[in-house]
Amino acid sequence: MTLFILKRLAQIIPVTLGVTLVVFLIMQMIPGDPAIILAGEGASQETVAELRENLGLNKPLAVQYTDYIKNLLQGDMGNSLKNNQPVFEEITSRLPITIELAFYSILITIVLGLIAGIISAIRPYSLMDVGLMVVALLGISLPSFWLGILLMYVFSVQLHWLPVAGWDSAKHIILPAVTLGAGGAAIVARMTRSSMLEVVNQDYIRTAKAKGLKGYIIILKHALRNALIPVITVVGLQFGSLLGGTVLVESVFAVNGLGRMIVDAIRTRDIPVVQGGVLVASLIFVFINLFVDILYRFFNKRMDLN
Amino acid sequence: MNKVTTTIDHSVLVNARKASRKKNLVSFLNKIKKNKAAVVGGIIILLYILMFLIGPIIAPYDPYDVQLDQKLQGPSVEHLMGTDDKGRDILSRILYGSRLSIGVGISAVLFGGTIGTFLGLIAGYYGRWVDSIISRILDIMLAFPGILLALAIVSALGPSLINVTIAVGFFSIPMFARIVRGSTMEVKKLEYIDAVKTLGANDMTILIKHIFPNILSPIIVQASMRLATAILSAAGLSFLGLGAQPPSPEWGAMLSNGRDFLFTAPYMALFPGIMISILVLGFNLFGDGLRDALDPRMKN
Amino acid sequence: MKQETVLEVKNLQTYFYSSEGVAKAVDGVSFTLQKGETLGIVGESGCGKSMTSLSLLRLVPSPPGKIINGEILLNNTDILKLSDEELRKIRGNKISMIFQEPMTSLNPVLSVGEQIAESIRLHQGLSRKEAWQKAVDMIRLVGIPAPEKRAKQEPYQLSGGMRQRIMIAMALACTPDVLIADEPTTALDVTIQAQIIDIIQNLQKQLGMSIIFITHDLGVVAEICDKIAVMYAGQVVEEGTTESLFEKPLHPYTNGLIQSLPKLYEDQEELSTIHGTVPSPYNYPIGCRYAERCPFATDLCREQQPELLTVEQGKKVRCWMYSNEWQGETLMKELTV
Repeated sequence: MTLFILKRLAQIIPVTLGVTLVVFLIMQMIPGDPAIILAGEGASQETVAELRENLGLNKPLAVQYTDYIKNLLQGDMGNSLKNNQPVFEEITSRLPITIELAFYSILITIVLGLIAGIISAIRPYSLMDVGLMVVALLGISLPSFWLGILLMYVFSVQLHWLPVAGWDSAKHIILPAVTLGAGGAAIVARMTRSSMLEVVNQDYIRTAKAKGLKGYIIILKHALRNALIPVITVVGLQFGSLLGGTVLVESVFAVNGLGRMIVDAIRTRDIPVVQGGVLVASLIFVFINLFVDILYRFFNKRMDLN
Repeated sequence: MNKVTTTIDHSVLVNARKASRKKNLVSFLNKIKKNKAAVVGGIIILLYILMFLIGPIIAPYDPYDVQLDQKLQGPSVEHLMGTDDKGRDILSRILYGSRLSIGVGISAVLFGGTIGTFLGLIAGYYGRWVDSIISRILDIMLAFPGILLALAIVSALGPSLINVTIAVGFFSIPMFARIVRGSTMEVKKLEYIDAVKTLGANDMTILIKHIFPNILSPIIVQASMRLATAILSAAGLSFLGLGAQPPSPEWGAMLSNGRDFLFTAPYMALFPGIMISILVLGFNLFGDGLRDALDPRMKN
Repeated sequence: MKQETVLEVKNLQTYFYSSEGVAKAVDGVSFTLQKGETLGIVGESGCGKSMTSLSLLRLVPSPPGKIINGEILLNNTDILKLSDEELRKIRGNKISMIFQEPMTSLNPVLSVGEQIAESIRLHQGLSRKEAWQKAVDMIRLVGIPAPEKRAKQEPYQLSGGMRQRIMIAMALACTPDVLIADEPTTALDVTIQAQIIDIIQNLQKQLGMSIIFITHDLGVVAEICDKIAVMYAGQVVEEGTTESLFEKPLHPYTNGLIQSLPKLYEDQEELSTIHGTVPSPYNYPIGCRYAERCPFATDLCREQQPELLTVEQGKKVRCWMYSNEWQGETLMKELTV
């Protein structure tokens, strides 16, 4: 097990480097000379040339890349083109908000999804089951940004129950978290349901019944424990779309998190910020994946030896 | 073993395979027909294809025609979906926009799917270091959460619908490549491939004639799933202002526009959203049905 | 020695309803089981023996199956009339079952000790510690060395034979009156088979329960059973003590089964088989269900279904040959044993 963890950690390194390389290269694809953009229009040739020298743009690409990595390791991601503040600080100030949003969203995904999935599986093809599955189908079909707008319209504009945007109080968290978590909840619900239905037909459930165990014990202790194993992978996969989804949801609800930072930066062509934001988000994702992988392995070691 | 015999044997093998595939195809289509979800999904998709083809022809108004005196009107007989903030008929914009939104999705999937399939085939068939390199690249591409990779690409290339298509296509590559790689590796192990090899077929022939047709069904399932995601992603990027630029009637852009008028004219955001949702719903239903029909464990 | 009847099954009918029609898996099965007795139920695949055993515990998958008729009297209480709660109380407690596939019949994510102990806690009200101790004792009883260590292990860490022993331990933990063993040795290697059969016999001597042993293997049945019921196409076609069945089989089907056993002490050119196949449970013939394959069949057999007749004390057979109206040849002339 520890060997597995170490092996995976080792695998992470090339991927991480790859991510930095891709981000670096993508930024190189930007048409136009960054020095000219930075210097602004009407700047003299000398200013531009000087700026190029300062930014290290005259060095060969490979060197620029290694410099980039060196700086990264020291926590230096350059400065925002807009306000000249260190990108690193901008990110660290906004990251916690995104993490908080992501946390509540995952909570909604897991809790709502599991409950819906279990209820559906207990009485398959009943009205409850069909109803829940229809809702789940909607959940994976509605674009998150539209769902957000819809919820905003119903709960803020019409009912005035919840605030439209911002991030100051508990009330502000509800709509964005639900919007972000809904899609995942739908997927988890569907997966839990199908997994449970498969498990419930297994021989060992028949054995449990033959022993005279009570119904809820069979479901919770015998069936669920087995059914949840594939669901873990699904939840793990959800982190990806969750992180990506923060970009959209934060924009809809004007939440000052990492996602919105990236989007605003793209609009203003603030390259260092975009670079930094995408990099950080991706690295977080890579580590979350690693964690989920290990978790899955832990629950699954009995399967491997079978 | 003279040359004539070899060729005859080879085509006998291919024909036998074709015959059994045809039989499989027929029973497969039957299974789909029986699955209600797939049928409903299929109908929805067909309706959208119809809209894609004749939408602009049946649109009652010019989608770019600014009529400020008619602005922000709710749905009425003249304007079934109302007018937007510049007095343009929303229904017409939706119909024209279908070509953009759906077109982007199809193009992106074709682009990503082709490259992805190619990479997957090579990685799965040749294995060893080719596979290692390609898999590593795929891992890196998959390390970017959700649409972040597409976002980064669009940020570099500049906001436009074409760039969104490229970006979304790009980030579809790994999904296709993975599936194709897996299927190729499975098919490669079949004894039938060894048989063809001993008859002297070269790699290219094997790949095109023998492996590719056998991995078609997972590719198709994947394509239908990815199409929905691609359309969603493209709409999302446009929503953020990074795709179609105004006054383009692309649905994501329309949604973004409509958001500003949520208080006064909610239908501006409602209709484009509904259109996207129903399309994705159609794909999901169809994809579900497709998966059930392909699942060997399903009893008829 | 007065024998008490522990289990009495009367006219059990379990049907399966589907788009293809009605499958009469169990169609009027009756038998009795005395205390301490081992009854073997024998037959080919699809004859309804497994469904009979599942019906006894009301474990028939339902839909599409349904027990539509019959009485199952366990110590004079009709199982079919019990409420769900009452049924739950006797399952695993008064009447237990072990299944064919020990691999899939144990929960892969729980320790085997826990799977035994939970039954004990439930039915005997012992504390966690006491139940665990008793589970360990049961594991020892079924002949698994180092029971304390094994109890903590999960099924994947045990061999097939050990898993089946765990199943036996689990079934017998609450000392039931009846143990139903549904093909417990079919999925195991022959050497392990012998061990399992030994364990079951030993435990029967120790705990005094009655056993219903379901199998298609005549060899096993000869070893372990006091009484045998032969099933064919959802019905019992012959019932009798083990000795008399092998010595003097009455039903042509039973005879066919015994004849098809390879003989160790004689030279055989060919293995003898029974011609034909089992009729589909969706479409039984009107007359005797074995008539199609029976070398002695007459028109009477094909037109009317025979009842289960008691020929002698403890011997029953479902065949027109033993009725007064019989015109054709009889099996008695054919017997060479």
